[in-house]
Amino acid sequence: MSAHTIPSPAETRVPVPTESLRALLPGVALLFGIGILGKALERAPSLIHTRYPHLFIPHIEYVLWAILLGLAVSNTVGVSARFRPGVATYELWLKLGIVLVGAKFLLQDVLHIGGLSLALVAVELILSLSVMTLLGRIFKLPPKLTSLLAIGSSICGVTAIMAAQGAIEPEEEDTSTAIAAILTLGAIALVTFPAIGHFLHMSQQGYGVWAGLAVDNTAESLVTGALYGQDAGRWAILVKTARSSFIGFVVLGYAVYWSSRGLAPNVKHKGLFLWQKFPKFILGFMAISILATVGFFTASQLTSLSNLSRWAFLPAFAGVGLRTNLRDLVGQGWRPLVVGILGEIFIALVTLALVYWSYSHGVTR
Amino acid sequence: MAAPLQHHSFSRTRVDLIAIVIGLTLAALVRFNILPSIPF
Repeated sequence: MSAHTIPSPAETRVPVPTESLRALLPGVALLFGIGILGKALERAPSLIHTRYPHLFIPHIEYVLWAILLGLAVSNTVGVSARFRPGVATYELWLKLGIVLVGAKFLLQDVLHIGGLSLALVAVELILSLSVMTLLGRIFKLPPKLTSLLAIGSSICGVTAIMAAQGAIEPEEEDTSTAIAAILTLGAIALVTFPAIGHFLHMSQQGYGVWAGLAVDNTAESLVTGALYGQDAGRWAILVKTARSSFIGFVVLGYAVYWSSRGLAPNVKHKGLFLWQKFPKFILGFMAISILATVGFFTASQLTSLSNLSRWAFLPAFAGVGLRTNLRDLVGQGWRPLVVGILGEIFIALVTLALVYWSYSHGVTR
Repeated sequence: MAAPLQHHSFSRTRVDLIAIVIGLTLAALVRFNILPSIPF
């Protein structure tokens, strides 16, 4: 893959040091350093305000600080080779955070909102796949690039694109273009979604469900939710996790389609294919959620686990900024980006309407 | 920018399994009061 940003490493593969885990340390330290600096900067305005009460300093959440600091590093001095293996572990921290945040969800919540979101996800899937395919044809994109954009926008962004790479064998350039388009759209969502949520006075749960449905990458989905509030971030994770569980089915569908045209390898064992593509960390999330539901943890222990999940998310937030190179994102050609933007706007509006409808009809609490 | 290492890499599944193992280990440490509460 030609890299335009730090590829979302563990979406498919995480670089591993050839000699030892020590090679990871600089990058991991950078991730945590940026995250902790973000937390410090979040507190700075109140300290300055105490000393200079006449000054107005806006409060900025640590989530946003971590992303902005990461963006500043990656777009100025860049992420040098020494730091890259460790920075690439941000996906591991993200998944660890998701596993641990299972402690905040009782199983009945997971089944309730998971069931609702599965229905919404099904609608979102059909719409995304149809709209992206239609737009790809209108704008005359290469067919496999259109497939990648459709897969990425319908399921879980870069993870899905990378999962499809081996299955439908696209051109390398198509893969990097699709990834760049999805990452650009994720960056746009970080800015626009919270503003829309505040404008519409959305509830934490409603907004979180929307962010989980409409934002493609798991990391960006979590951040888009967390920028609105801690609860919104949790709901975004839950819905996004439900959405990610469909990855195998969609990629399998495209693999069968392209192999029937003789342009991709045959899928011999479909059941095995589905299991291979299934994101296994969801099982960890479910396991912790089940343990919390059966009373395995006390209330204070659940709080401890929740705090640990927030510590795990901290480097993941920094990683979102560090892997994004804005110049490379806009250098991908305008057509895939236009297709992506038009498709994503449509999906965002439809999912927003779906969430509103669900809440106004009492489908959710 | 050059892509990070393409070889010597974990598969996505392996990363998932590492996350699950670390997560469950931390949960056990918290459950049996071995790991103190770390405020965020």
